Amino acid sequence: MNGSDTGRRWALALPAVAVIMLFSILPLGVVLVYSFLTPGDFGNVKWIFSTEGWFSVLFERSIFDDTISISGANITILLRSVILAIATTLITLIFGLPTAWFIATRAPAQRNLWLFLITIPFWTNLLVRTIAVQEMIRSEGVFNRILLALGIIDAPIQMMFTDFAVLLGMTYVYLPLMVLPVYAAIEKFDFRLAEASYDLYASRFFCLRRVILPLIRPGIIAGSILVFVPALGAYITPRIMGGGKSMMLGNLIDLQFGQGRNWPLGAALSITLTVLVLLALIWYTRLTSGRKERDHV
Amino acid sequence: MLDIRGLSKRFGYGKGEVTALHEVSFQIAEREFFTLLGPSGCGKTTLLRLIAGFTGPSGGSIVLDGKDIAAMPPNRRPVNTVFQSYALFPHMTVGQNVAFALEAQGRPKSEIDPAIDEMLTLVQLLHLKHRKSSELSGGQQQRVALARALVARPRILLLDEPLSALDMKLRKDMQIELKRLQRETGLTFIFVTHDQEEALTMSDRIAVMSGGRVQQIATPRELYDRPANRFVAGFIGESNFLSAMASGGVVEVGDGKVHLADAPDGALTLMIRPEHVVLSAKAPDALQLEATVNQLVFFGTDTHVHLLLNDGTKIVARVQNALHAGQSFHEGERIFLSLPSNALRVVNEAEAEA
Amino acid sequence: MSKRSFDVTRLPGTAVIAMACFVVLYIPMVILVGYSFNAGKVIGNWEGFSLKWYGAALQNEAFLNAALNSLILATTASVIATLFATMAALATTRTEKFRGEGAIHIILNQPLMVPEIVLAIALVIIIGQIKQMTVYTGLGFLIAAHTTFCIPFAYLPIRARLEGMDLSLETAAADLYASRFYAFRRVTLPLLAPGILSGFMLAFVVSLDDLIISDFLKSPGQDTLPTYLMGELKRNLTSEIYAISSLLLLLSVLIVAGSWVATRKKD
Repeated sequence: MNGSDTGRRWALALPAVAVIMLFSILPLGVVLVYSFLTPGDFGNVKWIFSTEGWFSVLFERSIFDDTISISGANITILLRSVILAIATTLITLIFGLPTAWFIATRAPAQRNLWLFLITIPFWTNLLVRTIAVQEMIRSEGVFNRILLALGIIDAPIQMMFTDFAVLLGMTYVYLPLMVLPVYAAIEKFDFRLAEASYDLYASRFFCLRRVILPLIRPGIIAGSILVFVPALGAYITPRIMGGGKSMMLGNLIDLQFGQGRNWPLGAALSITLTVLVLLALIWYTRLTSGRKERDHV
Repeated sequence: MLDIRGLSKRFGYGKGEVTALHEVSFQIAEREFFTLLGPSGCGKTTLLRLIAGFTGPSGGSIVLDGKDIAAMPPNRRPVNTVFQSYALFPHMTVGQNVAFALEAQGRPKSEIDPAIDEMLTLVQLLHLKHRKSSELSGGQQQRVALARALVARPRILLLDEPLSALDMKLRKDMQIELKRLQRETGLTFIFVTHDQEEALTMSDRIAVMSGGRVQQIATPRELYDRPANRFVAGFIGESNFLSAMASGGVVEVGDGKVHLADAPDGALTLMIRPEHVVLSAKAPDALQLEATVNQLVFFGTDTHVHLLLNDGTKIVARVQNALHAGQSFHEGERIFLSLPSNALRVVNEAEAEA
Repeated sequence: MSKRSFDVTRLPGTAVIAMACFVVLYIPMVILVGYSFNAGKVIGNWEGFSLKWYGAALQNEAFLNAALNSLILATTASVIATLFATMAALATTRTEKFRGEGAIHIILNQPLMVPEIVLAIALVIIIGQIKQMTVYTGLGFLIAAHTTFCIPFAYLPIRARLEGMDLSLETAAADLYASRFYAFRRVTLPLLAPGILSGFMLAFVVSLDDLIISDFLKSPGQDTLPTYLMGELKRNLTSEIYAISSLLLLLSVLIVAGSWVATRKKD
C-alpha cells in the first residue's frame, strides 16, 4: 500500500481517534498525574509532588503520632471487590451455562423466543433492574412480606446492605452478559462431534468434559470476562444494594472525590482499578490467542 | 486484438519478492476462445487480474485494439469478469445485478430494461428476474454472473475458473452452454482453469502456464500431439517417458532401435501416449522392447496395462476392451511391445525459461 | 411416534436450571411493573389497580425534562458516534495492514477497557476545569462524553460486518464500470447497512443506559432519565419511581422488538 492511501485511511479514522484521545485517554493521563499530587483543602489538588496518594491505597498514617498501619478499610474493600467479582462470574457461569445450553438446543423457531427473553433484560436499564431486585429483598420487600405473612418470621430480615445483597444484585444484572456469548459458542458446536464421542464409548460426563467444554471454551472465557470486568468496576449495584456497609472499589473512588476530599487517593485507586481490569483483559487475550496458535498446530 | 507484451508481475519487496509472472507475451484474436491452463500458482489468475485491471503490472504492456490499457482502472476497461465465487451482489435481485454495469455507466433506463431481459433470456433465467441472488442455486448464480458480465458487451469476457464450484454433471452442461454463449455473442473469451479436460474440450487455443511462464500456446490438438516440453506432455493427457540416446537420426532405448529424423544427437527423452503403445504386435517402423506385465487395471471402455521394461522404466498401454477379446494378458507375463515411430515424440526436459 | 432413545443435545438438569434462570430474571421485573399499578403511595400496600402514577409521571416536569434530555443526548451522541465509527471501520478494514492500524484499533476500543466510574472521575477533573474557564455549561460536555464511550460500541458491529464482507463484490463493481464512489454507494453501503443499524442501536441504548458519567458531569437542570431516577431513589421509594422504571422497561422491550423486526427483514 502506498503512502497516500495510508494517509487517507488515517484521515478517515481521525475523528473517532481524536474524540477518544481527547475525552478518554487524555483525562486518564490527568488522573495518573493527579495520583502523584497533594490533596487540596476543599477537594481538588495542590500542584506539589507526593506519593501520599499511592501510599494511602494500602496504608494509613495516624493523625496523632504519624505511626503507619495497614489501611484495613481500603484493603477490605479491595479484597471484597475482587472476591465479589469472581463470585459473580462463577455464579453467573453456573446458571448461565445450562441456560445457554437449553436455548441453543431448542428448535430454531422456539430458540428465538428464548433468546428474545434473555435479550430484554440485557438491554434494560441497569438501574431499573437493580431497583427490581432491591424490591425483592429490602426490609419491606417481597420476601420479607411473604415470610411475615406466613408467620415464619416476626420481624423483617435485614438482607440489604450486605455482601450477599451486592452479590445477588450483581448476579441478577450480569447474568445475561454470561448467557449470550456462551449461547453463541454452543450454537456453533457441531453435535455430530458429541455423537462421535458417544460412538467411541464416552459417557455423558466424559463427552461433556473432553469434547463439549473444550470446544465451547472461547464462549465461556468471553462470557466470564464480560461479567468480571464490569463487576469489578461496579458502582451502581453496590451503591444501592450495599450502601455504605458493603462498598466496592467504585464506591470508594467516588467517596474520595466527594466527602473524602482526597483526590490523589481517589486517582490512585482509579488507576489501581484500571490496572486490575487491564490485567484481566490481558489474561483473556493470552488465553484466546494461545488457543488460536494451538489450533494451527 | 489483445496484445500482451512482456507483461510481468512481482509481489513484495526485497528478500520477500516473488515473481508471479515472467515477461509473458502473446496475442489473442477476435472471437477466440482462449484458455489459460496450469496448476495453481502458475500465474494464470495473476495474468487474468492484470487484464481486468484489478492489479497493476510491474512491467510490460496490455494493448487492446491498439491502445495500451495497462494503467487504466478496471471501471474504464471494456473488459468484464465472471468471478470464481460469482461475487453476485447479495442485496440485489437478479435483474438489479444484471443492470448494474449499465447503471454504473449512466445509460438511460429505456436502454437498460430491454438489455436486462435480453441477457436473462440468453441465459434462460428471465423467470427469476425478481429473485434475490442469494436464493438461487449454484448453476443459476453462475448464469446470472455470466449475464451480468455480458450485458455491457465487453470486448473481452474474462472467466476465472467459473465452473470449479459446480458439480460434475452441471459442469458438463455449463461447458456446452458457455460455448453456445460465445458463438451467439461473438465475443472473445479468456478462460482460466486448472482442468485440462475442460480446456481441451472448449478452447480454440490454450496457453499452458507453469512457474509464471507460458510453456506453450497451441490448439488443443497440437498441444496433445506435439507438447513442447515434458511439463506440457505430463500436464495434458497421460504420457509415457523413455530415456534414449540418439546419433545420426537413430534412437536407441535399451535393446531397441528406431529411426527418428528429427532427433538431435545425444541423450534425450521420448514420449508416447498410452493409446499408441502396441502390445505384442510387431509393427513395422517401431521401437520394439521386451517388458513384464505388472498390473492390469480395468476401466470399462479400456484396460490399462502397466508394464515394466528391463531397465525398470514403467510404461502404461491402453487397450480397448473389444467384444471379441483378441488377446488377454495376465500379470507376470513377458511380452513384446512396439512403439510406432510416428507416435514417438522427442520432448524437452526443461521448462520454458523466457 | 416413538421417542428418540438417545438425544445428544439433551443434558440432564439444564432445562430445570434454565427455567429457574428465566423465572428469577423475570419475577422481580414483573413485580416491579405490578406495583407500579398500585393506587397507594407506599409500595407494598396494595390499594387497588390504578394508572395514576403513570399520570403523575407524565405531568412531572422534572421527569419530562429528564426524558427530553435523555432523548437529545442519546440521539446526538449515537448519531455522531455511529458516523465516526463507520468512517473508522472503513479505514481499518478491507486492506492489507498499514502503519498505525493496530494503534487505531486499540484507541477505538480503549473506553471499553476502563471502568465507567474511572472514566467519570477523569472527565469530571478535565471538564470541571473547562467549565470554570469557559463558563459554558450546556449539554455539549455530556454529548462529548457520551459520544466517546459510544464509539467502541458502534465500531465493533460495523467493523465485524465489514470484515465479513466479500471483497470480490467491490472488485466486481469496479469491473462493471462503477467508479469508487458509485461502488461505495451501491454495493458497500447497502451491505454495511445492517451493521450500521446495529451499531447505532447499541450506541443509543448504551447512551440511554448511562448513569455514572451523566451523574458526575451534569450541570443543574441536565438530569437524564437514569440520573433523575437515582435522585428520586435517594429520597424515597414511591410508586411513581416504579411507574417510571416500568416505562423504561417498556422502552427497552420496544427497542429489542424493533431491532429484531429490523434484522429479520434484512435476512
